[in-house]
Amino acid sequence: MREMTFTPSRIFIYLIVTLIAAAYLVPLLVVALNSLRTAEEIAQTSMIGWPRHWAWGNYVVAWGDFCIAQTCAGLRPYMLNSALVTIPATIVSTMLGSIAGYAVSLWRFRGDRWIYGVVALGIFLPQQMRLLPWTVVLRDLGLTNTLTGLVMIHSIQGLSFTTMFCRNYYLAIPQELIRAARIDGAGFYRIFWRIVLPLSPPILIVTVIWQFTHIWNEFLYGVTFTTGQQQPVTAALIALSASVADIPQHGVQSAAVLIAALPTLLVYLFGGKYFVRGLTAGAVK
Amino acid sequence: MKKISRRAMLAGTAGLFAMPRLSRAQGAKPRLTVISQWSAGSDGAAITALGKKFEEKGGTWQHSPVPGFTTEMMNKLRAQIMAGDPPACSQLKGPEIAAWSKIAATVNLDALVAAAGYEKVVAPDLARLHKPGGKWISLPLQIYSTNMLFLSKRAMDKAKADGIPVTWAEFNALAEKMKAGGVAYPIANGGTRPDDGQKFEAALAGISPAAYRTAIMNLDDKALQAPELKAAFAQVRKIADWMDPNTAAQHYSINLQRFIAGDMGMMIQGGWAQGVLLNGGFKLDEFIIAPGPSDNRHPVFLLNADAFIFWQRKEPDLQAGQTLMAQLVMDPAIQTMYSQITGSIPVRTDVDLAGAGWSDGQRRTAAALKEAVAANQAVLSLAHNMAQENGMTAAMIDVLTEYVKNKAITPEQAVARLGNAVEGAR
Amino acid sequence: MSEAAPAPAPTDRRRLAADLGRLPELLTIWVPLLLSAGHITSFALWTIWVSFTPSTLVPVSGWVGLRNYTAMMATRNWQIALDNLLVFGSGFVLLSVLTGLLLAILLDQRIRGENLLRSIFLYPLAVSFVVTGTVWSWLLNPGIGIQKLITGLGWASFRFDWLIDRDMAIWTIVIAAVWQSSGFAMALFLAGLRSVDGDLVKAAQIDGAGPVRLYGRVILPTLWPITVTVVVIQLQFAITTFDLVRALTGGGPGIATQLPALVVYDFMFQRGLIARGAAAAVLMLLILLAVLLPYAAWRYLQNRQSVHA
Repeated sequence: MREMTFTPSRIFIYLIVTLIAAAYLVPLLVVALNSLRTAEEIAQTSMIGWPRHWAWGNYVVAWGDFCIAQTCAGLRPYMLNSALVTIPATIVSTMLGSIAGYAVSLWRFRGDRWIYGVVALGIFLPQQMRLLPWTVVLRDLGLTNTLTGLVMIHSIQGLSFTTMFCRNYYLAIPQELIRAARIDGAGFYRIFWRIVLPLSPPILIVTVIWQFTHIWNEFLYGVTFTTGQQQPVTAALIALSASVADIPQHGVQSAAVLIAALPTLLVYLFGGKYFVRGLTAGAVK
Repeated sequence: MKKISRRAMLAGTAGLFAMPRLSRAQGAKPRLTVISQWSAGSDGAAITALGKKFEEKGGTWQHSPVPGFTTEMMNKLRAQIMAGDPPACSQLKGPEIAAWSKIAATVNLDALVAAAGYEKVVAPDLARLHKPGGKWISLPLQIYSTNMLFLSKRAMDKAKADGIPVTWAEFNALAEKMKAGGVAYPIANGGTRPDDGQKFEAALAGISPAAYRTAIMNLDDKALQAPELKAAFAQVRKIADWMDPNTAAQHYSINLQRFIAGDMGMMIQGGWAQGVLLNGGFKLDEFIIAPGPSDNRHPVFLLNADAFIFWQRKEPDLQAGQTLMAQLVMDPAIQTMYSQITGSIPVRTDVDLAGAGWSDGQRRTAAALKEAVAANQAVLSLAHNMAQENGMTAAMIDVLTEYVKNKAITPEQAVARLGNAVEGAR
Repeated sequence: MSEAAPAPAPTDRRRLAADLGRLPELLTIWVPLLLSAGHITSFALWTIWVSFTPSTLVPVSGWVGLRNYTAMMATRNWQIALDNLLVFGSGFVLLSVLTGLLLAILLDQRIRGENLLRSIFLYPLAVSFVVTGTVWSWLLNPGIGIQKLITGLGWASFRFDWLIDRDMAIWTIVIAAVWQSSGFAMALFLAGLRSVDGDLVKAAQIDGAGPVRLYGRVILPTLWPITVTVVVIQLQFAITTFDLVRALTGGGPGIATQLPALVVYDFMFQRGLIARGAAAAVLMLLILLAVLLPYAAWRYLQNRQSVHA
C-alpha cells in the first residue's frame, strides 16, 4: 500500500523498532539466563547475570524431578492437568461464545441488548469477588476438587470475552444477507452453519488464543478448587518457590517458568499472524 | 477425599462442638487427609518425613500441599469447610486457631494430651493458644524464634568488635562501629511485611517484654500509648537507617551474599535463616547466632509456633488417623526428627539438644527459650500472626511497614497511627 | 444495527406450533447467555449481600448496615488504592494505547522481518502476570537491574529507583503492565491500519500529503472504533490487575502501591474479613459503573441519532 524507498527515515524506523524489540526481549532473556544458573550462584552474585556454569540440569529437574511435598515428578503431571482444563474450557467457551455472539448481533431477539450488556459487563468482574460464590456453586453441584468443576468455571467466565469478541466481529456481516436467508426460509441453525460459521475462523482464532492464554496462566481458581495431583501447572510453579527455610530456587524456577510458558508462547508464535488477521476483518466496535 | 453429604453451610457463632472422642476406631486402618502450605524446601521435606512415619505405623497418608503461603492454604481450608468436607487435619497457628474453631467442629484432644503428658512440657503461653475454650483442639509441632541476632564474622572483624551485643545500646554501638569500620550497611534485613514486623517486635520486646505483652498481645489502649512504644519506633528508625535502601520490599535472602562477605553486618531474623544460609552455600563458621537484644538481663524470646488442628470427621478410619497423628506430633522422637530437618526447635521443653544432628544455633535458641520462659519473657510474635488474628495483625503491620519505608513519619506519629489502626480493626 | 423485518402475523395455532418448534433454538440462544448473565448478576448480588453482614472467616447472615463500608473507606489502604487506581488507570491506558499505536504504525511500514517483530511484541501476552511481575521486580530494582547496569557502564549518577520510591512506585507497575499488554493494542491497531481503504490513501498521496498528514488526517481518524475497543480492554486490565502488582511490589513499598483489587483480596482472604472485602468489591463495581454508564448512555444516544437520522 505505501511503498517507500531506502531513505534515512526508513533507517530511522528500523532503528527504533529494533531498540523497542530489544527492550521487549530483555525480560525473556533474563529468565532464560537464570534458568541456566544454579541457586547458589544466584544467591552469591545477583538476580541478573550471565551463567558461570551452565546448569542445564535445571531443566531436567524442572521437568521431571522437583518435589512438591511427597510427589517428586516435576512439572510433567501438572502440565497435563493444565491441558485437561484449558483445552476443553477453551473449546466450550469459544463455541458457546460464537453462537451467543451470533444470536445477539445477527439473529436478534427481544432484550438482546440488555442481556448482552450484562454478559459484556462480566469482563470487569474481579476474580476475587467470584471465588467464594463459586465455592458454594461447586459444592451444590458436587464438583468440589474436580477438574470438571474448573472447566465449568472457566467456560462460563470465558463466555463474557468470547461473546464480546464474536459479537463485535459478526456485526460486520451485512444484515441483508441474514434477511435474505430468512426470507428463503432458513432458520437459526441453518444461517449459523451456512453463513456465519464459514466467516468465523479469524475471530475464532482470536478467541481461542485469548482463552487459552488466560486459562493456562490462571492461578487463583486453579489452586483453590483442586487438590494435590490435580493441580494445574501455575500451582506447581508457586509451590516451587514458597519455602521459609530455603533460598528461593530461582534457577530451577526460571527453567520451570519457561517450560510452563512454552504452550502459550508457541500459541502466539504460530497464531500471531492469524491473531492480527482475525482482528482485521470488520469493525471491531 | 470422602465427602459428607450434608449441604448446610457452616455459619455463625456456634460454640465449640468439640465432643469427647472415643477411640472406637479399633479395626479401622488409620487414614489422614492433611492440608498444609509446606510444599517445598525443608518444610516440604519435614512433613513428608512425618508422613512416612505415619505410614510406617500402618496409616494411609494423604497430604495435599497448597502452593503459596498461608493465605492460599487458608483459602483452601475455607473452601473445603464451606463445601462440608474439611480435612481431617490441617496446619494452623496462633489466634487463628480460636477463630477457625468457631466456624467448624473440631476434635477434643484432652484425653490424648493427658495420656501423653504433653501439657506439662509445653510453654504455658503457647498451650493457651491451642486450647481455646479450655479444651485442646490443636497441637503445636515446632517453635521458631523470630528475633535471633545473626552477625557476620567478617563484619565483626572490620568493626574490631569486642563481643556479641546483648542490649539494644550495645547493638547500636556495634552498628556504629561497623559503619566506621567500612561496613556499608550494618543491617542486612529485608523489606517484606513480616520482616518489618519483626524489626518492631524485636525492638519493643527487647526494650520491655511487659510493655509488649500489654500493648501488642492484649491491645490495652493505655499500653499502646506507653513511652516504650515510642522508644521502640525510634530503635526501628535506627535499624531502617542502617539498611540498604535498595532492599525495598524484597526478601532478606538477596542480602545474604553481602552479609557473609562483610559488606553488611547484622540481621535480626528468625531461626530459620540459619537453614537458608546453609542452603545458600554459606558456611557455619562465617556467621554467629545469638539471642536478640534484650534490655532486661534475660533473653527475650518471640515465639512462632506451627501447629496442626483436627477437624471433626465421622469416618472411623479418619478418626483413627487423627489419633495416630496426634500421638506422633506429641512424640519427642518425631519432634526431634522434624526440627532437625527444618532447623526449628521442638515444642517439648524436655528434649535434649546435646546430641548430634542439632546445630549450635538451635541449642542456643532452645536455651534462650528456657531462660525466657523462666523469666516470663517469652512472648508471641506479632509479625507471624501469633499475637493477634490476621485482620488485626495486618492492620498493625500496615503501620509498621509504612513507618519503616517512610522516614518522614516520626515515632510519635507512628504511635498514634498504631493506636488508630488497632481501633479501626477491632 | 437495524432490526429484522417483521413477519406476517400467523393464526394462534400456527403460532404455538412455530413457537414449540423454536424451542431448541431458544435453548441454544438463552442457555449460554443466561448462564453467563446469571452468574454475573447473582455473584454481584451475593457480594452486595455479604457486604452488609458481619462475615469474617466465612460468609454468615446478619445485618450491620453500612459499617463495613465506612470502615473500609476509612482505611489508608483504600484511600491509597483509589488514588493509585486513578493514576495507574489513566497512565496505563494512555501509555498502552499510544505504545500500541506506535508499534502498529511502525509495523505497518512494510519492513522486513515483520512476522518476527510482531511475535516479539505479542509474546508478553503469553506470559503469566506472576512471571512478568517477578522479572520486572528484578529489572527495576536499583541494586541489581537497570540502574546497576547503566551505572556500571560508566554513568555513575544515573538513578532509576522508582521501585523503592513511595511516590513513583506506581509507575513501575505501569511500565510492566504496558510491556505486557501493549502487544494486544498493537494487534488491534495493526488490524485497523490494514483495513483502511486503499483508495482513500492513494487519493491523499496524489494530493501530495506527506506521511504526517497522511496519518493524522486520513488514517488515524478511521481508527476511532478500534481505539474504543482497545481502551475498554485495557481498562478491564487496569481495574482487575492483581497478580502483576502482587508479584512486582506486593503492594509496597509500605502500602504505597495498593490497588482496589489487591485490597479486596487482602481483606477478604488474607485478613479473614470477608464482609469488609466484599464492601471494597462493591465500591469497585460502583466506580466501574460510574465510568461505564456515561459511555453506555453516550453510545445509546449515538445509536438513536443514527437510526433517526
